[in-house]
Amino acid sequence: YQRRVRVGMERYVEEFERKKNNNKDTPIAILAIQVLNDFVSKSDVGTLQQLLEQLKELSTQLKATAGTSNTSVVSGCDLFVRFITLSRGQNDPSSEDILECKGFDRVRKFLMDRGDTFLERLRKSRQKIAQLAYPFITDGVTVLTVNVSRVVLQLLVKAHQKSKKFKVLVTQSEEGPLMVKELNAQGIQATQILDASIGYVMERVSFVLVGAVGVVENGGLINKIGTYPVAVMARSLNKPFYVAVESFKFYRNYPLSQLDLPNDARYEDPEEKNHPEVDFTPPKYINKLFTDLGVLTPSAVSDELMKLYI
Amino acid sequence: MIGPSHLHNHSEAVVSTQSTGNFIKHTKVQVAKISPDLTESVAKEELQQSCDNFFRENIYLAGKSITEKAVERVVDGDTILIYKKSQLILHILLEAKARNKNFRVMVVDSRPDLSGVQSCERLTAAGIPCSYVYINSCTYVMKKVTKVMLAADALLANGYVLGPVGTALIGLISSTYNKPVIVCCETYKFSERVQTDSILYNELADPDSMLKTLNEEDTPVSNWRDCPNTRLVNLVYDTTPPALVSIVITEIAELPCTSAPVVLRRGAVKM
Repeated sequence: YQRRVRVGMERYVEEFERKKNNNKDTPIAILAIQVLNDFVSKSDVGTLQQLLEQLKELSTQLKATAGTSNTSVVSGCDLFVRFITLSRGQNDPSSEDILECKGFDRVRKFLMDRGDTFLERLRKSRQKIAQLAYPFITDGVTVLTVNVSRVVLQLLVKAHQKSKKFKVLVTQSEEGPLMVKELNAQGIQATQILDASIGYVMERVSFVLVGAVGVVENGGLINKIGTYPVAVMARSLNKPFYVAVESFKFYRNYPLSQLDLPNDARYEDPEEKNHPEVDFTPPKYINKLFTDLGVLTPSAVSDELMKLYI
Repeated sequence: MIGPSHLHNHSEAVVSTQSTGNFIKHTKVQVAKISPDLTESVAKEELQQSCDNFFRENIYLAGKSITEKAVERVVDGDTILIYKKSQLILHILLEAKARNKNFRVMVVDSRPDLSGVQSCERLTAAGIPCSYVYINSCTYVMKKVTKVMLAADALLANGYVLGPVGTALIGLISSTYNKPVIVCCETYKFSERVQTDSILYNELADPDSMLKTLNEEDTPVSNWRDCPNTRLVNLVYDTTPPALVSIVITEIAELPCTSAPVVLRRGAVKM
């Protein structure tokens, strides 16, 4: 029986790999949650406990294939499991209570409905962020961003569609040219700069706007390596530093230093430990976070996480 | 017959620090809850039982939970700075040693009570290498320190940490040298009060204890009571702003200092 379950899981891991290759634009965490949702509908267990255990096992396996974005996979899967097992819809007191379901098939249907609701909310999260945050981009601003981030891209495109005139500077980092290309294709004036020149340009920048790989419990940011120096530079010249991030990236970890991040979050290959892919920006350098839960300060992140977990 | 007012008089006599404040509140509630039909001895027993429960849940078990979380923060090669003597911090360090972590401790102490000496004794007895300095040399040793672990007497609603006098100094120096400051505090110590400086609410300990010198000699201020312009002020507490604290470890969660009011608001503190 154990082996049958494991073989079942390999199929889902393969499915996840396939989705990753076909959907470069969708956040990896959403793909993982889609796989989990699929698993809930097709799983053949008889009790909720068993199902939760299997979901946990599957999340761990998906995380292992996710590279350095695994923090968002971990946080996304964790939130998915918590959301679907919440006994009653938070804003809908008339919705069915999981405790009143008779028979596991009813429970399974309940979980699937909740899972679909969750996915629907997540899919809309980037739109919500763009809607909330585009007023921060006013005419004549120069925005500095680090590497490529689809959330930031969607935000800037929205602002452009609302006829705001602004310029964007993108640091080269690893995939900066891709970001420049996408922005230019949308008609936004974007220039690529060397990472070494952030000191040189910072006086002309209005604010810094970055995406995130994950947001930690104290409101700190995990993002592509090179973000921390930009944050320190921005603070030094009193330029606001904004982060655009979906709420499923809120990660339950509380690092006090760069080395406190787990190895598999930092390195592409934890065995070889080449060069870290991400760095940690402490919350004191961050002014605001644009999330689908609203515009938050770093200290509010802990509040939101407590609402979800405690 | 014991009633809440009777208790009130006695609790005024007890040195009412903030952390015992919550316990006294809890006991008054329990006294009020006791059914008047019970006999006095049964009522007393019930009250004792509820006090024991409070102790067990909020102090003993909470301490164990905090130790579990805090021990994870101690890594091999650390030099941990502690201030004076705290049961909780000592417990954490002894537990870390029991788990075979390889670390050193820097004990910072200050007059007049010099309780850091006892810390040093307990740690060296367990085989943990210790150094001992007075608070005056804190800046001198801070370079070699990797983390700072402090205990709190209370956590105020605006995130300020109330601790033994000298804690704020340690917090400030650690922050300047960019060392993480870890505050360990059980939730029963969380207070609804708001305070931004150390003078608004404080306590005075025995001023004559400040006169003790190492050689038991007379100091120039020994007859301070005769001088109308001289007073000795032996403050007990001081407040550390939340910006200087990296993390607060409680039994419910690891929080940033600014989230203390959230714990109160969510009613997580069991009264």
